[in-house]
Amino acid sequence: MPDFSLTPEQVDLRDMARKFARTEMLPKAAECDRDGHFPEEVYRKAWELGLMNLNIPTEYGGSGLGLMDQCLIVEELAKACGGMTTTIMANCLALEPLLLGGSPEQKERVLTPFCASYNLASFCLTEPASGSDAGAVKTRARREGDEYVIDGEKCFITNAPQANLYTVFAMVDPALKHRGVSAFLVPRTTPGVSVGKEEDKMGQRASSTSSVRFESVRVPVSSRIGKEGDGFSLAMRTLDQTRTPIGAMSTGIAQAALDYASEYALKRQTFGKPIAEHQAIQIKLANMAQDVHASRLLVWQSAWTVDQGKTGTLESSMAKCFASDAAMRVTDEAIQIFGGYGYMRDYPVEKLLRDAKLAQIYEGTNEIQRIVIARELLRNRA
Amino acid sequence: MSRAVLVVAECREGQVVPSSLEAVGLGRSLASDPVVAVVVGPPSPAVHASLAAAGAARVVQVDHPDPHGASTAFWSTAVAEVLKEFPDALVLLGSTIRGRDLVGRLGARWDAACVAGATSLTVDPDGSVRGSRPVFGGRATEEFRLAGPRIVVAIRPHAFPRPSPTSAAPAVETRAAPSISGAPAAGRVTGFQPAETSQGPELTDASIVVSGGRGVRAAENFHLVEELAQSLGAAVGASRAVTDAGWRPTTFQVGQTGKSVSPQLYVAVGISGAIQHLAGMMSSRVIVAINTDPTAPIFKVADYGIVGDLFQIVPALTRAVRAARGQ
Amino acid sequence: MEIVVCVKPVPDAETRLRVRPDGTGLDEEGVKFVLAGYDESAVEQALLLKEAKVATGVRVVTAGPSPRSEEVLRYAIALGCDHATWIEVPADPRPDAVATARILAEGLKRYPHDLVLVGKHASDREAGLVGPALGEFLGLTDYAGVVDLRWDAGRSLFTFLESVEGGALRVEAPAPLLVSLQQAWNDPRTAKLPNILKSRKAPIERIPWTEVGPAVQERLARSAQRTAFRLPPPRTGAKLLEFKTPDEAAEKLVRLLKEEAKVFP
Repeated sequence: MPDFSLTPEQVDLRDMARKFARTEMLPKAAECDRDGHFPEEVYRKAWELGLMNLNIPTEYGGSGLGLMDQCLIVEELAKACGGMTTTIMANCLALEPLLLGGSPEQKERVLTPFCASYNLASFCLTEPASGSDAGAVKTRARREGDEYVIDGEKCFITNAPQANLYTVFAMVDPALKHRGVSAFLVPRTTPGVSVGKEEDKMGQRASSTSSVRFESVRVPVSSRIGKEGDGFSLAMRTLDQTRTPIGAMSTGIAQAALDYASEYALKRQTFGKPIAEHQAIQIKLANMAQDVHASRLLVWQSAWTVDQGKTGTLESSMAKCFASDAAMRVTDEAIQIFGGYGYMRDYPVEKLLRDAKLAQIYEGTNEIQRIVIARELLRNRA
Repeated sequence: MSRAVLVVAECREGQVVPSSLEAVGLGRSLASDPVVAVVVGPPSPAVHASLAAAGAARVVQVDHPDPHGASTAFWSTAVAEVLKEFPDALVLLGSTIRGRDLVGRLGARWDAACVAGATSLTVDPDGSVRGSRPVFGGRATEEFRLAGPRIVVAIRPHAFPRPSPTSAAPAVETRAAPSISGAPAAGRVTGFQPAETSQGPELTDASIVVSGGRGVRAAENFHLVEELAQSLGAAVGASRAVTDAGWRPTTFQVGQTGKSVSPQLYVAVGISGAIQHLAGMMSSRVIVAINTDPTAPIFKVADYGIVGDLFQIVPALTRAVRAARGQ
Repeated sequence: MEIVVCVKPVPDAETRLRVRPDGTGLDEEGVKFVLAGYDESAVEQALLLKEAKVATGVRVVTAGPSPRSEEVLRYAIALGCDHATWIEVPADPRPDAVATARILAEGLKRYPHDLVLVGKHASDREAGLVGPALGEFLGLTDYAGVVDLRWDAGRSLFTFLESVEGGALRVEAPAPLLVSLQQAWNDPRTAKLPNILKSRKAPIERIPWTEVGPAVQERLARSAQRTAFRLPPPRTGAKLLEFKTPDEAAEKLVRLLKEEAKVFP
């Protein structure tokens, strides 16, 4: 029988994240959203306390946590601010290809110094002309002797303005199509790397996003992760790992919306009683609660599946797709429950909707997720 | 069972502190027997007179050259000596920093049932003492009962009325300092560092407090809070955000890890009302909040709220207060 | 130098206060107990003194029921304390502050203690009586509201500021002593994730009630009884003033403070 209770260690982790979210993240969330400010002091504190680099093994200085433990933490952080959570988690995304395909020497060489001090990294896959069609990257990496020369542009890259390290997916042999893509570790300081202007986003504004341009950037062969042509597979296997925490983030945002809406419904009075006593509001709250609860359970089961060593593509796609769609429904209803006040930026709910929206788009759009789900579903029947 | 009431009076700068006088007033209302005041320090006729005016029929003066220099070990020894005369006493004192320390020490040394920070107190016919005190930063009230022959209660400043002065000549007796050889070595006081406060009453004593928070935005703007405080004759406080940012010293901080205040009126300017701050001021009698954010938690606990820009509201309020007070 | 820090698990700051069915106290069902407030500062101060090589070891001690006692001790270990001792105390009858001090004194007698640190007061009941009573029972001078505690190795003295109304006394005192700490040199540190996980396996010394109870029975019987726990009538929230201009708001408020609230000076 499944046991849904958390171990004492998991309770400790969750409580630690909850306290950090409440004391360090939440007080700054509205200000960062309003001003588009990147709260580096929050991220430094997260790193100091071991809340960053959650997936990196402890032997390299990371926190070495499984997906379930990561998701417990991510949900708590996301309740305070989705943008800050994305920044904190982005290292996990960026470094996962190295964890999956790097040599032991490469991991030691790169990860140990990376984790030993405050560092940010970026996962560079998306390009102006290729988002969902990840195999069609145009960024080229030409082999010249024992170097690769990288040319191209990546866009909408999280952490790009502040990152020290980029994991870049570039086409080595276009004839092989997606099997011609390789993954490279490119330090920010490499000549030819430049960062575009920071994007002015709808939400998750505490997270910093921009394009990254590579102009004749030379990297040694030792910076390639795995063999030539491994890139696309590394990217897909990375997303297999990171979809579930995105689901956890969406769950956290939705939970925050539900909490605000419930509290408000108990206080706000219309027609002589708290609106929580009107059926229309009760039905909304009931739907929201089901959405949040279902999201969390999908996330937990997906995390458990991956922690068991299975690929979990179907489970993680469902968790990410359902939770991010659910978060949009829940935050939308939360605004509705607040009525006119919900539309005002003085109140915390409209930010939640703007933050939630991104999760339907990044890390594989929900349209792609549905294709993945259908494919996995039907594969079992073929 | 009637109890003798003994008040341990604390002095500062040659004057009896207000909460000691409040304790004398309370003692008078609780006991049929005359209230005895015990004071430790250099003998002072002014101190004796003010204790008598508050209602102490007898003053026991324990001589000690320097009130600052007397350690709490000395205090508790000196008071315990005096208490030998009063086997069934109810000892009252003000819940000041010193006072609470003394309660703990006396409770242990004199084997008394004790409580600190009482806001109400009565004596039952059987001699047991009942009362109440705020807990959880004023978010709840606890009722207690103390039984047994020896009881010590420290009362919260401003919770009991200042007694109206009687004209009475005190009966004063002076005693020599008891020997405290064998007591643990006391520290040596090498100086006194006054708190950096603005002009105006001491934060914890004041009956009106005006506090500024993060909404004030910069150190240069804090004078708006101070001007409003001045117009009201109030003490100035600050939230932790302000002291963390260095706009004002930590002595201004009101909150769970700052000072706890319970004035008659508390005005919170640009303060959101995080629990840590509320814990320090929630038991204020009347709370006014000024903030641009209508969902700020401070509005849940305030009695009156102004949702508006403090940079306009506070100067207007200062003007209105001055006009009303004829300044 | 050996430091002992005495701490009290208190309800987390965000706890919704509820009255327990018999009306005498907080309903502790589902309440999370944590290390908080001045106790956090006391642990921080002990760790800072250890890092400055003034102290060789830090022992954290608490007297109370399970599981909150172990939870708080584990957190203190995660912060960096070397040893932890739990003095088991049954949930009923509940010892008051002086009885708790008596119980702690029984436990502390077993360990060398050159400096005993307690927080100025606990964030739930805010009495601050345990420190001074413990000083009395241990035969130590105690200092309350201490800030800026330093060790002068040359003269073998502690120097610190002791808060009094209106300012602070500068004091120097030899070990052993007891300090009720108001503020450490730094803000209390937060336990790091790997240490939190490790602390789950750390050993905690247990002193069973049978070894302490008999000696403290009399003092326990003398405890102040908590007869009722009341929540204030729910504050209905602020009366929000309606106004068109700041001056109008100001005048309305002054009038309300004068006539309705009657608190205008």
